[in-house]
Amino acid sequence: MEFESIHKIKRPDKTHKAGSSEQTGFPSPATHYLESTIDLNLILTRNRDATFFIRIQGDGWREHMICNRDVLIIDRSLPATAGKLAVIVKDGDFTVARIAKDSFKDSDTVLWGVVTYIIHAV
Amino acid sequence: MIALVDCNSFYASCEQVFRPDLWGKPVVVLSNNDGCVIAANKEAKALTQIPMFEPVFKIKQLLIDHDVSFFSSNYTLYGEMSQRVMNTLKQFSPQVEIYSIDESFIDLANMRFVNLDAHGHHIKNTIFRNTGLPVGVGIAPTKVLAKLANRMSKKIAHYKHVCVLDTPEACKQALKDAEIKDVWGIGKKHCQRLNNRGIFTANQFAYEVSLEWVRKNMTVVGERIWRELRGEPCLSLEMLPKAKKAIGTAKSFGNKLTDLGLIEEACAYYISEVSEVLRKQNSCAQFIQVFLQTNYHSDRDAQYSNSITVTLSTATNDTFILTLEATKALRTIYKSGYRYKKVGVNLSGLIPQEFVQMNIFDSVNPQERSALMQTVDKLNQKYGKSTVNSGLVGNRQEKWELIKKDRSPRYTTQWSELLAIDSNWS
Repeated sequence: MEFESIHKIKRPDKTHKAGSSEQTGFPSPATHYLESTIDLNLILTRNRDATFFIRIQGDGWREHMICNRDVLIIDRSLPATAGKLAVIVKDGDFTVARIAKDSFKDSDTVLWGVVTYIIHAV
Repeated sequence: MIALVDCNSFYASCEQVFRPDLWGKPVVVLSNNDGCVIAANKEAKALTQIPMFEPVFKIKQLLIDHDVSFFSSNYTLYGEMSQRVMNTLKQFSPQVEIYSIDESFIDLANMRFVNLDAHGHHIKNTIFRNTGLPVGVGIAPTKVLAKLANRMSKKIAHYKHVCVLDTPEACKQALKDAEIKDVWGIGKKHCQRLNNRGIFTANQFAYEVSLEWVRKNMTVVGERIWRELRGEPCLSLEMLPKAKKAIGTAKSFGNKLTDLGLIEEACAYYISEVSEVLRKQNSCAQFIQVFLQTNYHSDRDAQYSNSITVTLSTATNDTFILTLEATKALRTIYKSGYRYKKVGVNLSGLIPQEFVQMNIFDSVNPQERSALMQTVDKLNQKYGKSTVNSGLVGNRQEKWELIKKDRSPRYTTQWSELLAIDSNWS
């Protein structure tokens, strides 16, 4: 494979800090162990351009551990794997169901997106 | 090779992603203030009785009779969905020119080793999978040909929304099938002129008209189109948008206004919008134009319209200075006793921020003010549009704001407006 053009090299992320001590007294013993704080955005939305949030009304899907007012995180880029919870369109209506082997046999049933997480306020 | 990817009936498609009950049904989107139909999907376009760009009040019954769903424009949603499409495209090439809200050119120069047709389908399928939006892909050696290929991808069913013109024969055939009016960049006037000379197809234009004639009659713009149609790339991908030469906004009020105070508040709001755009592109305005008009469609109302342009002592992009100047200007053209429909502002004579000549008599410290404006922009970016604004904007927006009666929820930007599914119903 040949490279035909060279593109601008991306600058490193400014928020990333190398583990150097900024303390004026004793150097921090954690200096070489620093890591970035957990960012839920990065963990729960792996593909931002394909991620959507959907709010569920009512308690009809308790069997899927979904309660009234819960928010589903949907990643549309994920494949329709059997056993996964998904938002499905059936005859023009949204529904939530586990994907079975023959879920999409009929053309009136299509996958809208795979559910990755359920956000439940307590 | 260059690909042109564009979304099919973009506004209507954005609405339909979240409304499966409307899949396969006619959908139209209305302009600001619900004035007229500005976008329609394939199904709505097929209903030829429904005229585009007609005032809605004239055709509302027609829409209802034909079971056409209509939405007020939801630019927040369309803008966000557009961003998803553009981000997805960047997976396919480092060089993407975002041409408009629903169209992008991408450079496939590094893709010579792949099957272009399969690649086009891959692009189309990935965008649909990520966003739910259908797109058409045209791939060809030049931008003008890619545009033509894109058009064919939609018109000819067996292409399934992907059309590749990768051989001289394919290009030639495409040119033969294309009317001159369908060529990108050829306007009505030139089209008429060419028709008068017996030139009706793109192929005739590219191979029967001489370069001298094109140069003489259609300038360098025409020459580029002519060359591009012959497969010679002349238009490069523009990765950065050109800085605008003037920025303006004018929207009709939701209700007609007579009170100067309210009009001033609307005017101040528009100034805050345009000056933010100005700061984003790091330029300053030398002139500010304000105009005011009544509803010229109405026969009952007394008519008045006027406009005024003010030269600023120092070019600026400071919301507060611009608002002050605009308000002064507005007061000089405002006459009481009329029912006004629209106020508009236009900032022009834009120059780069670093070229601004200071005025010795200016009382404000420009550095301090620029820090203030940066803070305002940051706050508004973080907490939402117009969180912090000039006091002159007031808090009576509902009195002059556009009517967006049938706007869909802002599904992707507002936590309180998420798509909702009822679990008891299904």
